[in-house]
Amino acid sequence: MQIGVVTFPGSNCDVDTVKALTDLGVQAVVIDYRNHRLDYLSAAIIPGGFSYGDYLRSGALAARAPVMAALRDAVEEQKLPVLGICNGFQILTEAGLLPGVLRPNRHGEFRCDWQTLRVAAESPYFPGLRVGDRLRMPIAHGEGAYYTPPGSLQALFQAGQAWLQYTDDQGQLHALTNPNGSVANLAGIQQGSVAALMPHPERAMHRYLGSDDGHKLLSAWIDGIRQEVGHARV
Amino acid sequence: MHASDVGLTEAEYQRIEALMGRAPNDLELGLFGALWSEHCSYKNSKALLSRLPHEGPHVVSGPGGNAGVVRLSQDLDVAFKVESHNHPSYVEPVQGAATGVGGILRDIIAMGARPIAVADALRFGTDRHSMALLHGVVKGVGLYGNAIGVPTVTGDIGFSDTYRANPLVNVLAVGIRRPEHAMGANTAKPGQVLVLLGQRTGRDGIHGASLLASRDFDEQSHELRPTVQVGDPFLGKLLMEVTLKCVEEGLLAALQDLGAAGLTSASAELSESSGVGAEIHLDRVPLREAGLTPYEIMLSETQERMLLVVSEENLERVLAVAQDFEVLATEIGRTTESGELHLFYEGAECARLRTDWLVDQAPRRSVDEPFWEGLAQAPKTESGEVPKFRSEALLEVAGSLDARSRASVYRQYDYMIQTRTVYGPDRDLAVLDLGEDGGLALAVDGPGRWAAEDGYAGGAGAVLRVLATLAATGAEPLGITDGVNAGNPDKTDSYRAMGALIRGVADAARAAEVPVTGGNVSLHNETDGESIWPTGVIGAAGRHPHPKSPVPQNLGKVGDAILLIHSGSRDWGASVAERVLTGRVSAYPRTDLENAKSRLKAMTEWVRENPPHALRVLGDGGLGMTLVRMWAESGPSFGLQLSLPEKDLQEKTRLFFNEAPLQWVAAIPMDKLAEVTRRLEASGLAILLLGEVTEGGMMVLDGRYQWSYADLMARWRKPYEEVHDEL
Amino acid sequence: MPAFHAVVTVELKESILDPAGEATQGVLKHMGFSVDGVRIGRHIRLTLEAETAEEAGQVAGRMAEELLANPVMETFRVEVLA
Repeated sequence: MQIGVVTFPGSNCDVDTVKALTDLGVQAVVIDYRNHRLDYLSAAIIPGGFSYGDYLRSGALAARAPVMAALRDAVEEQKLPVLGICNGFQILTEAGLLPGVLRPNRHGEFRCDWQTLRVAAESPYFPGLRVGDRLRMPIAHGEGAYYTPPGSLQALFQAGQAWLQYTDDQGQLHALTNPNGSVANLAGIQQGSVAALMPHPERAMHRYLGSDDGHKLLSAWIDGIRQEVGHARV
Repeated sequence: MHASDVGLTEAEYQRIEALMGRAPNDLELGLFGALWSEHCSYKNSKALLSRLPHEGPHVVSGPGGNAGVVRLSQDLDVAFKVESHNHPSYVEPVQGAATGVGGILRDIIAMGARPIAVADALRFGTDRHSMALLHGVVKGVGLYGNAIGVPTVTGDIGFSDTYRANPLVNVLAVGIRRPEHAMGANTAKPGQVLVLLGQRTGRDGIHGASLLASRDFDEQSHELRPTVQVGDPFLGKLLMEVTLKCVEEGLLAALQDLGAAGLTSASAELSESSGVGAEIHLDRVPLREAGLTPYEIMLSETQERMLLVVSEENLERVLAVAQDFEVLATEIGRTTESGELHLFYEGAECARLRTDWLVDQAPRRSVDEPFWEGLAQAPKTESGEVPKFRSEALLEVAGSLDARSRASVYRQYDYMIQTRTVYGPDRDLAVLDLGEDGGLALAVDGPGRWAAEDGYAGGAGAVLRVLATLAATGAEPLGITDGVNAGNPDKTDSYRAMGALIRGVADAARAAEVPVTGGNVSLHNETDGESIWPTGVIGAAGRHPHPKSPVPQNLGKVGDAILLIHSGSRDWGASVAERVLTGRVSAYPRTDLENAKSRLKAMTEWVRENPPHALRVLGDGGLGMTLVRMWAESGPSFGLQLSLPEKDLQEKTRLFFNEAPLQWVAAIPMDKLAEVTRRLEASGLAILLLGEVTEGGMMVLDGRYQWSYADLMARWRKPYEEVHDEL
Repeated sequence: MPAFHAVVTVELKESILDPAGEATQGVLKHMGFSVDGVRIGRHIRLTLEAETAEEAGQVAGRMAEELLANPVMETFRVEVLA
């Protein structure tokens, strides 16, 4: 199984993401933004960073790179599992592969902190993650306020696309635990084989770094890929 | 053009004419102006700095390069250095701080090392404008560090009116490299190609070094504003990747970043340290806007540029690497055997100078032995009356700017990227896990108030503080870097104050047997005749034995004994509490440097062999605030039951709030008390049992003073913006 | 007093580097567009009461000078909409 880590000029969490995948026993291959072919991959991660310096709008410039067209084809034609982390989330919304947009944090500042998340919807791509599960992971972003037009939120929840939410340590949802002004405290969204979150699972791989819940999330995803890939081959 | 137009004196001009045997043309005069500036030549500080100890068993390369390098393990070198960007940050705080981070990162890269951490030491005034500057500077540090992907893992902030018109922005960067990738500016050979990599050159920051950073602020400073440089962390990231890829492939003969005085200092310093000459065709330098003169091209401080020296055979590959990252790389000239900087524009010679005139022949102030000896003399100062102890005092100190939690600042920095940060900015120091190569401990400190009345004590105190911080996690110091910030060196008092600070650093570093491997001096931090306190920012890099499990900095376990480990002094001079409770700053206590080494060693060995449940260096706000910080990590379910032996209420204040050097607070199992006491007392340290860790969210002292967790944390965690009470 | 809309356009001075503009231009070129310069500014629309359009323009100009633009590196222009 090969998982592609798609990098753009300015990506900077690619090395951490490759390290995390390697720790999980998966072969990670770095995919340059100029690539046109992804059909040999089992899945792809768009890691965090400041692609193109976050200039114009975060994710907007990367979303126009050749590799994104290839990624769109792979998602549409082969249901390629894709995980976007932080800037990867922003790129996926800019590319139209996920609904909504990520706006500058409500308080106007970059925010790096530990944050508890709650799983709000289950997915075949994350077997083992149950609704209500709590995960503690770092956030580090300046533009993470998830926004979706008025009226569309209910549909997002009904379709199970509202995937992860920011909560307090006990898993309670309230405005005070919202670090960036996201609607409905949303931290992660999924749609079909594409999922993305603002927090950084690749930074939460070991207790000595503060938490190993990122390990839990990424291994669930890899299990999901194995099952889906296996299924497709049957 | 006149000498004063480039910041030179008439006497310096005479010297230039004497060296050259003719009058310099305008371009040549501009080059002298830049390289003979305070900022580039260290003309007022070099003789003082040369007295710092530079040698040590772990030193790979000391001062003189772009950064000091120490050996962490057999396979890993650590490059680190502190640099200031004070004046630009006052003019334009966001870009000033951002380009400060970018600049020191390129210094690290120029040693062939990949940056893995940044630390910032900031000083501001206390008025509304200062808070706006703080806001901008923090935004700028984050803007660059976050985007380029280097974590800001620790730092230090201080406040005083003395910094109102001269805020300090000192940034320390750390990088790692394999020893075989060692790189520097001193290895160029004649006949190699000079490649300018990175940003196109514009009219950014012309005269930044000679005028902005090398003289005091006054009315005219306003007009220097158009020289502001803008940082581009996106290009900075690409530039870093191109450069390090070339280093790893062994393609470069030598390497120098373009910082202050741009191409002028890069080409002259590279040539001089390699013992070669350089021939540069200025019309080949890619420009951002048309019509830059040779003078502007040589003095531009456009950011994100590197000068690579490449042999003919590697040139094609270097250009290909740059092209792959879409970074501009341009052949602008060659190294020669002449020892001269020889500049051409459209085929015509426009300057011809020996590089040693520019670099080595700058007039520098000398320091004689009596002057150096005199710097250690203690000033005659008086300390006022110490107020009686009362419980509100701790709340006042907890909420004071100097003792407050830095969280509102550091949470704007990405401190976790690169996934090595085991201890980050919420602790006294950073501990980074480097896998098979071990661990790196990094501490930064240097309270300005400690040097306000006695620069020597303040300089020595800052060195001892960072070393004591490393010792508290059992880390072995490899080297220190010093950032000296002071006033106008042309004034006797300011010069002497800087000298005393450096002397204090030198004596403490020598006593502790830790080399100073590099640093920075920023002078002219003076506005309308008012100088800042001489401020020494000291950074220490240490080898950590077990980075995945550093000693906790909390209260340990319920029932643990809480100890003060101290060195005898209870002088509360220059403490946060003295300022907050009395409004005065008296001299910081001097300490017996002879025993410093053995005390630090005793602590390090104790921590390594028999780690306590928790241990913290005694920090800003003294014993009282150190306990508060330990408590903050344990949380509201913990409490403390303490008693002080002193019945006298003034003595109690001294004991609870002094910041004298070489003190720690520890939590150990009660039944280990005798053993620990015996062990540490044998090394000349004293132990005071303060009490024990309890449950229940209250700290009780002597049965009559008490504080709730919630009250203390509410004060301590106030963000810096809330300063209305102090305006 | 009548209400006016004023638009303040803030741009970086020509001599100041615009990293965002440069990166955007690079991507536009990769997408196949022929473009020879991108400078990114800010567009700020103000609604304010004033006696005359001229006065509205003056007030908006002061706002720009004192807050909306950074005189260290930006220029601005004010347009009062009818």
